[in-house]
Amino acid sequence: MIQPLHLLGFLGQASPASSSGCTIAPGGFRVDGFCTDPGSLHIPVAYRSIIPVLVLTIGALVMLALSAVLPKRARPGLWPALTALVGAFSLAGAVWQWYDLGTAGAAQPTIGGQIFYDRFSVLFLILISIAVIFGALSADSYLRREGLDGIEAYILMLMSAIGAMLMAQSGSLIMLFLGLEIMSIALYVMAAYHRRRTQSGEAGLKYFILGSFSSALFLYGVALIYGATGSVEFGLIGNFLTGNVIANNGVLLGGMALVIVGLGFKVAAVPFHYWTPDVYQGSPTPFTGYMAAVAKAAGFAGLFRVLTQALGTQQANWRPIIWLMAVLTLGIGSVMAIAQKDLKRMMAYSSISQAGYVLVGLQAASATGTSGALFYLFTYIFVIVGTFAVIGLLQGRGEARSDLGVIRGLGRRQPLLAGVMLVFLLAQAGVPFTSGFLAKFYVIQAAVQRGQYWLAVIAMLAAAIAAFFYLRIALLMYSSDPAEPGPLPVDVPPADAGVLTLGLEPIASLDLETTLVIDPPSRGPVPVPLAVGAVLAVSAAFTIAAGVSSFAIDFAKQATTLF
Amino acid sequence: MNAAYVIVALPLAGAIALLFAGCLPIRGPVGKVRDPWSGWLATAMTLGAFVATVWVWATQVGRSASGRSSDLNIFTWIPVGDLHVNFGLQVDPLSILWCLFVTGVGGLITLYSIGYMKGDPSFNRFFFYLNAFVFSMVVLVLADNYLFSFLGWEGVGFCSYGLVGFWFERNSAAVAAKKAFVTNRVGDFGFMIALFLMFKHFGSFNFSAVLGPLSAGHATLAASTATALTLLLLLGAVAKSAQLPLYMWLPDAMEGPTPVSALIHAATMVTAGVYLIARSAPIIHFSSSGQWTIAWIGAATALFAATIACNQNDIKRVLAYSTVSQIGYMVLGEGSGDYSAGIYHTVMHAFFKALLFLSAGAVIHALHDEQDMKRMGGLRKHLRITFPAFIIGYLALSAIPPFDGFWSKDTVLAAAFHKSPALWAVGVITAGLTAYYMTRQVILVFYGQARWADQSAAHGAAGHSAPPHEAPPTMTVPLVILSVASVLGWLLNAPFGGLDFINRWLAPVFPAAIAPSFAVHTGTKWIIGLVATAVAVAGVLSGIAAWRRQVDRPALEPAVLAHGWYIDEGIAAAVSGPLARTASDLSFEVDAKLVDGSVNGIARLAAESGRQLRRIQTGYVRNYALGIGAGAAVILFYVALRAGS
Amino acid sequence: MDWAVYLVGAAMILTGALGVILLRNPVHCALMLVFTMFGIFLEFINQGADFLAAVQIIVYAGAVVILFLFVIMFLGVDRKEAIGAERLRFQRPLAILLGLVALVEILALSRVDHWVSGAPAQSGALKGAGSNVAKLGQSLYTGYLLPFEMTAALLVIAVVAAVVMSRRHQPSAGEMSPAAQKELRESHQSALSASDPSLAGRLEAPSE
Repeated sequence: MIQPLHLLGFLGQASPASSSGCTIAPGGFRVDGFCTDPGSLHIPVAYRSIIPVLVLTIGALVMLALSAVLPKRARPGLWPALTALVGAFSLAGAVWQWYDLGTAGAAQPTIGGQIFYDRFSVLFLILISIAVIFGALSADSYLRREGLDGIEAYILMLMSAIGAMLMAQSGSLIMLFLGLEIMSIALYVMAAYHRRRTQSGEAGLKYFILGSFSSALFLYGVALIYGATGSVEFGLIGNFLTGNVIANNGVLLGGMALVIVGLGFKVAAVPFHYWTPDVYQGSPTPFTGYMAAVAKAAGFAGLFRVLTQALGTQQANWRPIIWLMAVLTLGIGSVMAIAQKDLKRMMAYSSISQAGYVLVGLQAASATGTSGALFYLFTYIFVIVGTFAVIGLLQGRGEARSDLGVIRGLGRRQPLLAGVMLVFLLAQAGVPFTSGFLAKFYVIQAAVQRGQYWLAVIAMLAAAIAAFFYLRIALLMYSSDPAEPGPLPVDVPPADAGVLTLGLEPIASLDLETTLVIDPPSRGPVPVPLAVGAVLAVSAAFTIAAGVSSFAIDFAKQATTLF
Repeated sequence: MNAAYVIVALPLAGAIALLFAGCLPIRGPVGKVRDPWSGWLATAMTLGAFVATVWVWATQVGRSASGRSSDLNIFTWIPVGDLHVNFGLQVDPLSILWCLFVTGVGGLITLYSIGYMKGDPSFNRFFFYLNAFVFSMVVLVLADNYLFSFLGWEGVGFCSYGLVGFWFERNSAAVAAKKAFVTNRVGDFGFMIALFLMFKHFGSFNFSAVLGPLSAGHATLAASTATALTLLLLLGAVAKSAQLPLYMWLPDAMEGPTPVSALIHAATMVTAGVYLIARSAPIIHFSSSGQWTIAWIGAATALFAATIACNQNDIKRVLAYSTVSQIGYMVLGEGSGDYSAGIYHTVMHAFFKALLFLSAGAVIHALHDEQDMKRMGGLRKHLRITFPAFIIGYLALSAIPPFDGFWSKDTVLAAAFHKSPALWAVGVITAGLTAYYMTRQVILVFYGQARWADQSAAHGAAGHSAPPHEAPPTMTVPLVILSVASVLGWLLNAPFGGLDFINRWLAPVFPAAIAPSFAVHTGTKWIIGLVATAVAVAGVLSGIAAWRRQVDRPALEPAVLAHGWYIDEGIAAAVSGPLARTASDLSFEVDAKLVDGSVNGIARLAAESGRQLRRIQTGYVRNYALGIGAGAAVILFYVALRAGS
Repeated sequence: MDWAVYLVGAAMILTGALGVILLRNPVHCALMLVFTMFGIFLEFINQGADFLAAVQIIVYAGAVVILFLFVIMFLGVDRKEAIGAERLRFQRPLAILLGLVALVEILALSRVDHWVSGAPAQSGALKGAGSNVAKLGQSLYTGYLLPFEMTAALLVIAVVAAVVMSRRHQPSAGEMSPAAQKELRESHQSALSASDPSLAGRLEAPSE
């Protein structure tokens, strides 16, 4: 069969390199050894394997060029629309890749062994593309409300997506690290994007410093693994470890531990989660949702790649670590969330505890566990982006309020919005007929299959604890507005520990004219912009659809190409 | 189309319609709350489900014993690996029996609520909960596998949370709802673990796969597995059915709208645990210690709750504790191996306890939300329909022949006697206490001085100026129906004249392989019946003697009983407090004080000495970094231990 | 000789690093960073990576640290670091302890002499035949082509981030300065403390 795109030659399917000195591996995807011939500065590049990355990069650059050409006050809504369009193209490319790959099975390293072209990658490419579309659509109205609209936010969003995609596809530790940095640095800036809000700048700086710290640890881990195995490519590391017994595996294990720390930071696993509540709370709300979806997914993709592909032989050594992290993450995330009175902060802890379930799937180190974790991550983005989109709508200008009070009586004021939020909450609580139930079910089942009964029990216990605060929010939405006891002296930032302790000094102390409009939401219904409404509708529909039928798990199972 | 689908579909449709009715601009005649249309809709749906149940029952009755079970698959839900969870309905005598009284009693409650909830601002929400409750309950009993059943189980818990906390503006209601929820989560947790254990052992959740071979006698189960499963399932049942030690949520659940949510908790929902035990009979059969545990939990609960009921002053709390006690009887019957006895008592109890609660509701309604029995009295002249109805319920609950309670309790006691005379003795003592506290209640409420009049006089003309009035027909009609059922219902399973319909109906569910039949001598039966009657009469007489003239007898009302043996307070002090505090302390200490507190301080310092970006930021980020470093050090330590191995 | 050069380089690196975190004057810190860079330069030379060594000096010592110095000068050198202001009482000793523990752990993990497994490195030995630059270039344009190209994304982010961070904002009516935001939050806090005294104690900073 002739692939139409193949005819272009552009997609660069395996043209065998002719030059001497380089060993071109069968299939022509990789160059082994060191090319001494100056004429051999050519490797076959399988462009088909990086279509989404290319689409996003070109899209971002074209948008930047456009912004230079177009008048200063471009049409409002142009940039988010373009971003969503770019995301849609990327999505289409990823879907094409899915069918292009077929059920080929094992991963193929391409482009010098730096990335993998397999369905595991493609699932994340699809996921990230969707997150970009949703992020752009739900950020638009927020940014306009806050007077922050402009092209920069969308460029950063696209760039962070590129980093996340590279992480998910990475075939070597170097690529993984680079993707991590590209994604993270863009996210740091996004967290600090609402510069006139002191909390936002603070969030950005905290995220940046701690992120750099964890990146340094990660990089040290990479160096140690390279030292122990002589390679940074996952496939070669895996082969080396299968074929050789290392007399002293201490260096390898040390490297593994540090890599786990670095990636554990990105996925907000306890005990590397400290930044999460502050950053989630301080970041602009739609970006928080985007960040929670993309950073978590990419971080887990990296963990899966490193731990199962490169260090699959070291299972006995890393599974207990992940086990402990899972237990801590589940427990601390669930318990701490109960005590929160700020919605964003509560959702931050909630997202920590959700990461615990994915860790449960990871530690199973089995096909079931992996497909459960993939299902979890894929369905979670719809839930978390939707949740934060709703919170963003309710907050009022300047993120005036995000305490639990804003959601009280929502069911009466805006039944549809409340219904959608209810779906997201129930999904996070793991109520049947939502994707959340099946997600938890699969990972716990994977743990049971591996004989990890205690982990399964702890996970169920955490689910039982967590259900409490989700249901509390849900019931708060459907409770009637009480007679307000009279406003506090100033009806602004919520009166609870979470916020009081956070908002402090402006980041940019030099920038004294930074100012912020704070305008608490009115008691009446808030307008729901069309774009946000569409995001919410699609997310809620998907959350229910994935909870009652099996298409999503089939998708996740087919993407489990690591075993 | 099988009528069984209709049983499930109608309440679901009602719930969905009522959920979205909130969005519609429909206005009822009583203003903005869609009152009473949503009530009528909910009633129609529930009663429709009842009619469908009767239809299914009628078609089943004609069939042979083996042909009464059918499995209807709706759709396959979880296809993962070798596990296929189907959503299907299992129509068999046990599930249909439960459906009959869930939809029947539920329908009457819904009808009654139209009058009771009139004018409530959340009228619509209330009926949504009612329909959702009936739906969940029907799913619970009709499901053909444990997982699906568990969904209904969770749904029931959620609706009960919503109903108990319906008036969450009252702090007590919110607290009670939280308590009910948390207690039920404990039980759910047991259920969940049982599910996983079951999946591990049988590889399936389906009743046909798990229970079928056992009850057919084709397979046996190791005693250890059976005991583990039994105890875990029992944990779920104990929480849902308010048995020791997880009973304390039920009396508090009386905070729900009077008496509707109380009624749900009395007649239908709490029997879910009884159902679960009956359904799991094939597993329980293989665990002797499990059976003993069940029997003793039932007996102990029955006695324990009865002692507390003797000293409650709230008209609803007496009935609530009495419910706990009566469910103890049901569990006792099941633990004794006579499942149909337990179920017989469940059905009879549904009749007369519903009657009692509805009558109590009518009394409360008549006295404008007065619930303290010490402020009642003399109501028999004013409530011409409620009074006789209450008396019938009272006689039935006190097990005075020939009312319902006598026959069913007698069957349970006979089974308990066969199991162990000690169990029987506990049951008999409880029967005496039951008669005593019910007599006390009747005297305090309906006889003696009209103390509500004093109150109104003392408090001015505010509330009670009008004399007590009888309730509207939507409330009295259910009373009359339930009265008749309480008088004649026992004929459903009378121990003579070939009238043991329930026994014969349930026979296919409890074949001899898992529930060996035993015969108690007719003579013994007579003696058991006579002793029980004598004790009950003695209880009544002592009640009359004690409470005929006096309203306050501190000697007979020790504080320790009025406070329910202080168990609630003890638990609250020991568990809830520290647990609740731990979470908030964690948040405060770690988050607020340790980390953010430092931020606060540094920020202040910075403000004083001119803003210095660097100082502030390193000030608190380094604390986080320390935490991350500590985590890394721990992991490194672990791998250092593993290295070289 | 290799080991002697290695030791000198390592000593320079460590001295520089300690100086960066221990010295109070930011300018001195920046200069100590240059010292560290020179140590790394030595180690690269020792490994035969001449080109990287040159890049190390030109880019880091020549450009990056100079930028640091510019920023420090703009912010003002005279401000002293108030490192003494510590809120978490055991932060410093704990941090030092943890650092030592981690160091010991890393040492314990590499306790055997030949811990490098000897697996052939992907890009070949730098000490072999051929020009250093050519080897690096080939490595970048073959095996590491994609990472090399994708670093461009980092540059784009840097440009955009600089625009975001430095954009001026025209204040409009009703906006609040940071000081006002802070004041408002404090008044809110005092109102909260008044309404719930039990909360107040917990939220106060421990310093008072």
